[in-house]
Amino acid sequence: MKTYDKGDILPEDYKQALLNLMSFQADSEYAGGQRVAENLRFAPRPEEAYRLSKKVMEEMGHGYYVWNLMRDLGVDVDARLQELCRHPDDPDRGKVNVINGFRKENWSAWFECWEDVALFSTVVTPAAVAFLGQYRDCSYLPWARVNVRIHKEEHGHLAFGVWASKRCIEFGGEKTREFMQARIPKFMRVGLGFYGRPSSGGNKSAMFDKYYEYGLKTKRPEELQSEYLELLESRLTEIGFDMPTDVQPDYEMRVGYTLDEESVNEVQPQ
Amino acid sequence: MIVPSPDQLVEAGASVLARFGYRPNLGVEENWAEMWPLLQGDFTTLGRPAVPAYQELRPSQQEAARVYMRRRLIADRLWEECRKAQAGLYAHIDTEAVERYSIAREAYEESVEDFGRAREQVEALL
Repeated sequence: MKTYDKGDILPEDYKQALLNLMSFQADSEYAGGQRVAENLRFAPRPEEAYRLSKKVMEEMGHGYYVWNLMRDLGVDVDARLQELCRHPDDPDRGKVNVINGFRKENWSAWFECWEDVALFSTVVTPAAVAFLGQYRDCSYLPWARVNVRIHKEEHGHLAFGVWASKRCIEFGGEKTREFMQARIPKFMRVGLGFYGRPSSGGNKSAMFDKYYEYGLKTKRPEELQSEYLELLESRLTEIGFDMPTDVQPDYEMRVGYTLDEESVNEVQPQ
Repeated sequence: MIVPSPDQLVEAGASVLARFGYRPNLGVEENWAEMWPLLQGDFTTLGRPAVPAYQELRPSQQEAARVYMRRRLIADRLWEECRKAQAGLYAHIDTEAVERYSIAREAYEESVEDFGRAREQVEALL
């Protein structure tokens, strides 16, 4: 795999593909931080509130890290942050690339209570850990290095989910455990759809082969799904939940940043 | 307000620390009894639905509760630092501004972890 470091001249096609993926990660991490900030209203206790507030700062930090790399490639990233701050509920699709799942109209439908907040970090975050983990080995080395740090912090978010879920059960007992168990599938659908459609077959992602060939994505969706399920089962078991069966992926939220070509707002360096 | 230690060696330490900027707290003490009810929810588990008022805690429990509440106040100040750093990033994103945010954010995160550990210490004493 050919790799590139800071300052190297990038082939035009490669650069465009790289910027597409980086913009989805940066814009969506920041928008994800905004969504987590909205969820603060569900925090039932002081430590829950402070730990979630910490997560807000981490998610937004991931956005800043990746934007800073995009700035090195000539992109006006200040405009992206300003768009998200000015229009958090509905940022302009022509100005930022926020995945569907982190748009307010989709996100807010998933959350009705603090238990949902705890479950999101328990059930969906393992998919982020698996998905973002692949970028640590990608061909653009500055992005790979930043993702080493991000991946470590995503592991921390997973630990938050386990902690928060256990606390829910500690304070609410068996009734709460059953309530949460019934809500796992709705988040598991998102987790299963995180990496995009399978890498072969009629429904495969239009962009996957290109990203894979360039070394920007280093694992196939099937590999990531297997990692996800392993991680998820271990965490659910640790908390005392059962692993649901027969849950179908929801690819429409496109949490894993793999949009098809016509949906991508191409990022143009200045 | 500080209460001096009866041990002169401990008190002498204050003058050494003062060489590095230590200043005695001569201001008004926080109202711990007023703050405690806002935070009691961290401890009202199924097995312990009611938590004593601050005045009813034993001295060791009160000390742990004060540490827990002080940790929270430190976290609040560091959270404000993160917000200031974010204001800088909003004006312009560059490596220096990102690094500043990263330092502020890590300090805030550590303070939240400290707050959590202090909560566990109170929990163990209740």
